[in-house]
Amino acid sequence: MTASSRRFTLSRRRLLTGAASLGAGVIAAPYVARAEEPVLNVTGWGGKWGEVMKAEIGPAFETEFKCKLKTDTALPFLPKLQASSRSAPIYDVLHTNSNEQWAAVEMGLVEPKVDPKLVPNMADLYPYAVSDKIVGVCIFTSAIGLGMRTDKGYANISSWKELWDAKYNGVRGGYVIPVNSLGQAFLMMCGTLYGKGQTDLDAAYAALEKLKPIKLVDFTGAMEKLFLSGEVGLGVIHDSGIYRYDGQNQPIDFVTPSEGVLSLEQVLSITPGSKVKELGNAYINYMLRPDVQKRLAETVWYSPANKRVKLDAKYDAKLLTTPEKVSKLIQVDWKWYNAQKDEIDSRVNRIFRA
Amino acid sequence: MTGLVSPQHTQLARPVELAAASALRSQATPRRWGRRLYLAANIAILTFLLAPIAIVIVFALNPTPFIQFPPVGVSLRWFEKFFASRDFMQALLFSLEVAAMTTVAATVLGASAALAIARGNLPGSRLIVATMLSPLMLPAILTGLALFQSYVLLDVGRPVWGLVAGHTLVTIPYVVRTTLAVLHNFDVRLEEAAQNLGASPARTFVEVTLPLVKPGVMAGGIFAFIVSFDQFPVSLFLVAPGSETLPITLFNYLKFDLDGTIGAASVVSILLAFLVVIALDRTVGLRSYVKL
Repeated sequence: MTASSRRFTLSRRRLLTGAASLGAGVIAAPYVARAEEPVLNVTGWGGKWGEVMKAEIGPAFETEFKCKLKTDTALPFLPKLQASSRSAPIYDVLHTNSNEQWAAVEMGLVEPKVDPKLVPNMADLYPYAVSDKIVGVCIFTSAIGLGMRTDKGYANISSWKELWDAKYNGVRGGYVIPVNSLGQAFLMMCGTLYGKGQTDLDAAYAALEKLKPIKLVDFTGAMEKLFLSGEVGLGVIHDSGIYRYDGQNQPIDFVTPSEGVLSLEQVLSITPGSKVKELGNAYINYMLRPDVQKRLAETVWYSPANKRVKLDAKYDAKLLTTPEKVSKLIQVDWKWYNAQKDEIDSRVNRIFRA
Repeated sequence: MTGLVSPQHTQLARPVELAAASALRSQATPRRWGRRLYLAANIAILTFLLAPIAIVIVFALNPTPFIQFPPVGVSLRWFEKFFASRDFMQALLFSLEVAAMTTVAATVLGASAALAIARGNLPGSRLIVATMLSPLMLPAILTGLALFQSYVLLDVGRPVWGLVAGHTLVTIPYVVRTTLAVLHNFDVRLEEAAQNLGASPARTFVEVTLPLVKPGVMAGGIFAFIVSFDQFPVSLFLVAPGSETLPITLFNYLKFDLDGTIGAASVVSILLAFLVVIALDRTVGLRSYVKL
């Protein structure tokens, strides 16, 4: 054999064989990796929530349950879940706000309820966390009420209706209702305040008309900035959006109106096609554990759904941690809302465009 | 010459010159106005293009956690926060990696396709061009969703190569378009001359064809890098947990924390785009493709 014949030559056959092997390897890689340890695919938030989940709570769960926790924090979750196979969904546990959970359950993407026998910590939850307004199980809630600047000389606010006071023209804040769940919940509150109840849309529309002029934002976080900059003096916001600036000497405060606060729930549910349902239930149970609830609640100022959680004094004073405080929560009928969403979107767009 | 002109001629010429000068002046006035208008329009367009960048810079340097105008001071706190954040740094590096891989893939595939289209005498070449450019006509978010569904059907998850493939798909049209533009004015006789002088087809390609199409390929490559680095809609569906690109990380961040870190990240992105262009200019030279 000559030296030249021993030299490597790239024939078409070799190239095709190599490419086919590489392709097969790439396709097989996920299966090989999957065989090593169970993987739980969940959704989750970014920001502080994401930081503490990634740094502490997620790794502790992985160690305890000898699995890999993969958290997708890149929205939109629902279209991704919808696009994936029902028998092999992209997520095992879906974490979203309540409105999206209702949309998911209507499409058959998540199971309507979590079995309390498989999630023992559900025995310690406040009733709102497992009510008929909840798909899956609620692990935390925020209170949607009013935020106000404390340096503008406004009198004490006690009612939602004060938002309609003409003296707040130009400094009133709200949300783009079609894209923001706080705005959607507030629309239902308008029906309660000025009509026969949450579903009284005519009363809600009339109230929204009278609310103009109003500064509207799409992202919930943007409202906080409007408060901090002083562009908004009184507006709709969740308590966590105000309390997170606690200790930073900002002239803002949260008001719990006498009519009650709307519930902005953090909900977990299991997908029907999940291959690791046992692990999914373990994850939900873990997220409801008092120590995990306490850590997250004190990080992001969410009210824990587990009534056995004992928060530090400063959090306990402000968050919904007693049956009396929890009784102020008003849950939204998202199933009904989602069914009317197209009509509502079209109408509120007309109201605020004019 | 003036010495040869008689006084009579001079006398006659003067009114003609004056009339001509007057006509020129009357023509020059609208031309001057036209030039001023043209200048004003250019300044307006430049202002329109640069104003968002200026606002981003002000936001990034403002110490307050919200956009405030006029700014109350200058601070680098948001840059510190950006560079200290492990998530942002991972995302920045990952975006650079993806953009680099995309640039290579889109440049090789796009330039090869353009050469084949322009020189291959392919049947239905117009249809092929339209197909190659079609990713630009489809909303990128649908491209992302379609690719995501394909990967789900193939059960391959959301691998990095899948993200690079998605980016390559939407960046190939830029390379095809710019390379075709160069090939349109390509003088085939240069290649024929090289071959007549004894050069093999391979040598002709490397020493004649490639240098001549390089400006178009490079321009396409730069577009590919920038489009991939800033790509949001395609990445939205294709990024895997823990491997998010910078635009996705920024989007997730601003849902919860709308502070100057977003501005700092944007300034860094803009500077990186500039650096890439400067680096390419220094290494391969970009002046030639400015003619495009």
